[in-house]
Amino acid sequence: MKDQVAVIGVGCTKFGDRFETSYEELICEAAFDAYADAGITSEDIQAAYLGTYLPGPSGGKAAVSLGDALRLYDRPITRVENYCATGTDAFRNGCLAIASGAYDIVLVLGAEKLKDRGGRGLPRLGHPLLAKGNSAPGLFALAANRYMHTFKIGREMLAKVAVKNHYNGARNPKAHLRMEVTEEKVLNAPIIAWPFGLFDCCPTTDGAAAAIICRADLAKRFRSDYVLVKGFGLAVTSGRPYFDPTFDYLGFRSTQMAAQQAYKMAGISPKDVSFAEVHDCFTWTEITNTEDLGFCPKGQGGALAAEGRTSLSGDIPINPSGGLKSFGHPIGASGVRMIYECVKQLQGQGGERQVKNPQLGLAHNVGGPGAVSCVIILGHN
Amino acid sequence: MVGITAYNAYVPRLRLDRNLIARAWGTPQAAGEIAVANYDEDALTMATEVGLACAPDSEAAAVDALYFASTSAPYREKQVASVVATACDLPRRAQTADFTGSVRAGMSALLAGVHAVRAGARNDVLIAAADARLAAPESEIEGLLGHAAAGLRIGSTAVLAEVIDAASVSEEFTHLWRTDDQKFVQAFPGKFSNTYGYARNLGEAIRALLAAQKLKPESIARLAVYSPDARAGIDLAKDLGFDPRRQLVSPAVSTIGSAGVADPLLALAAALDEATAGDWIVVGAYGEGADALLLRVTDELPRRRALYSWKRAVENKLPLASYEKYLKFRRVLDLDEPGDAVTNVLEFKELKQDIRLYGSRCDACDTVQFPITRVCIKCKQSGHVSDHKLRKQGTIFTFTVDHLVANLEHPLPMAVVDLDGGGRVYLQVTDFTEKEVGIGLPVMLTFRRLQDGGGNHNYFWKARPVR
Repeated sequence: MKDQVAVIGVGCTKFGDRFETSYEELICEAAFDAYADAGITSEDIQAAYLGTYLPGPSGGKAAVSLGDALRLYDRPITRVENYCATGTDAFRNGCLAIASGAYDIVLVLGAEKLKDRGGRGLPRLGHPLLAKGNSAPGLFALAANRYMHTFKIGREMLAKVAVKNHYNGARNPKAHLRMEVTEEKVLNAPIIAWPFGLFDCCPTTDGAAAAIICRADLAKRFRSDYVLVKGFGLAVTSGRPYFDPTFDYLGFRSTQMAAQQAYKMAGISPKDVSFAEVHDCFTWTEITNTEDLGFCPKGQGGALAAEGRTSLSGDIPINPSGGLKSFGHPIGASGVRMIYECVKQLQGQGGERQVKNPQLGLAHNVGGPGAVSCVIILGHN
Repeated sequence: MVGITAYNAYVPRLRLDRNLIARAWGTPQAAGEIAVANYDEDALTMATEVGLACAPDSEAAAVDALYFASTSAPYREKQVASVVATACDLPRRAQTADFTGSVRAGMSALLAGVHAVRAGARNDVLIAAADARLAAPESEIEGLLGHAAAGLRIGSTAVLAEVIDAASVSEEFTHLWRTDDQKFVQAFPGKFSNTYGYARNLGEAIRALLAAQKLKPESIARLAVYSPDARAGIDLAKDLGFDPRRQLVSPAVSTIGSAGVADPLLALAAALDEATAGDWIVVGAYGEGADALLLRVTDELPRRRALYSWKRAVENKLPLASYEKYLKFRRVLDLDEPGDAVTNVLEFKELKQDIRLYGSRCDACDTVQFPITRVCIKCKQSGHVSDHKLRKQGTIFTFTVDHLVANLEHPLPMAVVDLDGGGRVYLQVTDFTEKEVGIGLPVMLTFRRLQDGGGNHNYFWKARPVR
């Protein structure tokens, strides 16, 4: 699969509280941004994959909502849903479709409209008795507390991730939360689910992102600086890990396995990765993910951030976009938005947040209670 | 010999200071406190507490009847005993019945159990009496009603107190009542009811009992009686020729509030906690008449003392922060409390897992897991797993304290608990203080009201600090 699929255009909406914008309008913004970037029209799209997680009051119930928004009829459109790995999995499915030879040009689009739901954005999911009382912060906090207990780290270590990602996000015009924060502010914020305070959590966000992919041998017809798909991986583990007596809560096996698949396909090792867009729904999640992705040994992800190695100027910049923490996390859109960031960085269009001379970028989502993970590796042609 | 083979007292951990009530209504300061069921407790869950204590897992299979008594059952139509029996993992063949309608119902259940065992119709009857009665805000009895449960087992082997005799009086007398459309208990106040209802009826029953057995009050070690208020029991004891200070056991009303159907059985439990072989105990229950029961303690008692003694049940307590919390927890305030749908089909399908608390055990690799599975989580083989009863003690493996999640009480601790004997469960934590929630802390499982979903009450297990 390596180097068989090229990204020839990407698009992304402004992420944030898009109260005045509909789900369909978000889809249009991202798609036409990507069309323009690739220099194509919707007529060129042969198939599409919509990544969207929550069938909401304003759309997303099936792939049909993508077709209707873009008037993209009479072509195969598939909805992909895989917890927070929805966006990257939609991209992966698009790649498989191209590589199979079925289509030459495919649209991958992730969209979510969480703010239309009111309240906290996410509905309660799961078994009415066995999952009663769980929340997204609560589930990740279970693992964070065990991890912090085992490796003897405090909340200060988590706060450093928030400070870094807000710093990056403040330099990103499309990010949801564009302000820097201090460690003190992070530590003194109201608690959401111990050990996570408000600034340890990503916001609920509206947004959409898109990528146009094609057969690699056709890519230079569209642009010279296209980006190649080097590898990808996806793995699932239990959707109820909290009942699993064999789970140590110190990291996510789904990420470890998905990363191994992707590295193997790309023929690289973690040290070859120039920068990564890593799933940081909570500050601790980024710490454990940098370990599970192989950027440092288990237990040292906090130090990696604390030593500045994951900052824009560090040796392995993590979340130059600002991450979910600052850019926002419209679930199905996030993975495609990470692809967008990787492509822009590889093309040297990162602006104020551009990392130095990147060769390989990695996008990673982990979803559910660590239950599913998807890794995409992109690089220069 | 037919008599009591096990007994336990259960008092919810929360206490409402009577001064908080006084402050809310601008009435004079009042001493003491009442026990208040937590937001996830009701008569059903409290009955389960005493049921599990009296008939632990190792003995549950022997129990062939469960009688539940309450005037404040969570259902108007639907048996509660069947739920308690299931949570206690009693055999399906066990007879279940609910006793209700009067604060005498706890004693009614006890007498029915005694009669059933005496007649040879049943061998081992579990009695679970529990009340969480509501008084109207600002009413005279608001600071008087407490919530609690008492459990007993009746049998003919290993009897710790033999039932010698009983006497009953039946009389239509309206003292405490609640019509079928009222939420709060009504009481006709003070001296009239205590004199012409309580003292006259219960006095008559106790006198009849003593006369039939040719016993004098001074021969009785303990007079364990229901008392509608702190004074009435003392007056009755004196009137009957007992020495209240030495003989009267009527502890609920003065420590946790008048505990309804559980009250006389709690008095009995308190009496048994301190009794010695050969002691005579008279138990008295009141309500539309009265029942009196005569017991004689055997030398079996030291081996069968309560797991939850009365003293321990009373002393293990946490203060309720405010009167408003009491109003919220007991649904005096009509708050919107959305729950997820538990359909009758889901409940039916998962009864063994969710209520009897069975998981699976892999015969190949010995891994115990929850929920019930067909494929082992460790060795991934199908066809090797069998149903496995989980133990109800364990240790917190990890946790969080969630301030965001929608729940009646905030914040809500959630814990992953490794159970003794295997199996890992993910549960809400209840009855906690901050220092009781953390990695490595021991917890017990407790059956609680989780939510109201699908139009009825949904019960499930929670973790609570070991008491």
